[in-house]
Amino acid sequence: MSALGAAKPAAGGAMDPVSSVIGLVLAVIFIGAVFVIAPTAVMPLLGIILGGVLIGFGVHFVPVGGAPAAMGQAPGIATGVAMLAAGAGLAGLFGGAWAAELGVVVATVTGAIGGGLMMAITCLMVNVIYVFGMGIPAASGKVATDPLTGDSQVEYKSQGTEGHGLPFISFVGGVVGGLFGGAGGTLIYLMLLGVYEQFLPAIFNAKVEEIMPVAISLAGIFAIGMFLVNAVLAAYNITGTIEGPHDPKFKRFPRAIVASLVASALCGLVAILIVVVNLNI
Amino acid sequence: MVENIVFGIGITALAGALAAVAGAAEDTESDIGSQGDPNSQVQLAPQMGFIHRIFNKAVAGEPPAYGLWCTLGAGLAWAFLAKDVNPVLALILGATIATFVQGVYATSGYLGRTASLAKFGQPVYIDILKSMLSVTMAHAFVAIFTTVAMCYLMNASLGHPFPLPLLGLVWGIALGAAGSATGNPFYGKERQYQNQKFGAGVPISASGNIVRYAEAGQRNSLDNGWFSSKLGGPASGVCFGLIVFLELWRTVLFEHIGAGWGAIIVGLAMILVFVVIDRWVEVYARKNYGPYTSAEEASS
Repeated sequence: MSALGAAKPAAGGAMDPVSSVIGLVLAVIFIGAVFVIAPTAVMPLLGIILGGVLIGFGVHFVPVGGAPAAMGQAPGIATGVAMLAAGAGLAGLFGGAWAAELGVVVATVTGAIGGGLMMAITCLMVNVIYVFGMGIPAASGKVATDPLTGDSQVEYKSQGTEGHGLPFISFVGGVVGGLFGGAGGTLIYLMLLGVYEQFLPAIFNAKVEEIMPVAISLAGIFAIGMFLVNAVLAAYNITGTIEGPHDPKFKRFPRAIVASLVASALCGLVAILIVVVNLNI
Repeated sequence: MVENIVFGIGITALAGALAAVAGAAEDTESDIGSQGDPNSQVQLAPQMGFIHRIFNKAVAGEPPAYGLWCTLGAGLAWAFLAKDVNPVLALILGATIATFVQGVYATSGYLGRTASLAKFGQPVYIDILKSMLSVTMAHAFVAIFTTVAMCYLMNASLGHPFPLPLLGLVWGIALGAAGSATGNPFYGKERQYQNQKFGAGVPISASGNIVRYAEAGQRNSLDNGWFSSKLGGPASGVCFGLIVFLELWRTVLFEHIGAGWGAIIVGLAMILVFVVIDRWVEVYARKNYGPYTSAEEASS
């Protein structure tokens, strides 16, 4: 085997043990740093990491066909992985942030439902356009029969294509991806909001009510930023297009979970440090 | 209490209507500028020997592009509001300035993208730039203004905690995601490949062979906008309008029931309804259109 071949990254669902261990050690260091600087922010950081992992995992469910889907050459939704997941997750974050005062559980579930609802409507309209606008039935290119409905797929693929539209399994995958994305984004927002509500009054020497606009804006923008970080990481793992949970590429998700865990720990550390470390400048 | 709910439903309906217009304008704008995934074919065509007069201004996917423009529009409107400018005027000014930014991106996008195809003999058509630019900017203004106005209603009337620029970012990205998901196939397959068989995907071997001639003369992107506005645009509008309307409706009406669980259960029920409709659409297509080949042939 050539040196180039040996240096190739792990293919398929394989994990690279060395880089995974290095990543996990880094994540532990980041959590340890928060524990030393601000022990009360450790639990929110763990919540942020969980939110990031939910997003990274959820993106793998979303059926994304990219440019080939726009020509009816491949199944999926005709846009980019990270952007579609971001659209769904942020719609969820919108609902979750609105319900923030109702508690972490209700707000997170509200966010999940918001993301799932956005994806359900979008996936339905994709199929409506394909079926009623273009006269093309849905067909998967990766499996012979739909794992949920048992419908055969091969004979519904038009000649010279990889399939088109959203078969039922892809539709369900999209909704599940939206649920995970909405929940993850909302969880990150709620955790950061809690940290900022705790530390910002001391920095500004003001009451909690007075710093709320700043806390909400900061938490919101960090939540959107972390959402994009995790969605883009997952998009790199998917490399282009994916049909949903039945796609062989779906098996790569463990790598994305480790990556999201490390990235969320670092982003969470930074987001917490900006209020914990008061430099008195 | 009842007055509050009625007011909330009214605002919800208005926001849903604005979102529907935003979705339709967004998709038509992006199709005139070949902004979504179909831009790959517009870019590929000259490389395959098919010189064309289609406008191609893609500098990013629709979601980040609209994220930027709507955040700019919302941020500027927010700044004007902080200066006690009349809200309607503030929204119009914010959307107008954001539209000029879109125009700058569209100009540099077309010139840069097309100039990179010089070695394949693709000319930069200044008349195309002049005639398409104003039309995409007009559509972009409609999309940005309606989205920012919708965000203002959510913030000022419905009391969402996010400030206006943050709402602009959230809904700008969602608008681009909904518009590109729904509208792209209609422009990419149905319009660019009108010379291929109806009712089938474009064979991969036909990539790049986009339709370049119209009823009279060469086809340009205004023809494409006219075509997209017949189905792709309105369908994107229905998609984004439904997303905004149902998200607000379930929150305004049912969040007070069961400490927030009411809105969750209603949301879940709506998702299930959409699942059933989707399955019906899928089965309808399989039954009415039938398979392309027999099962034995396909598997052999």
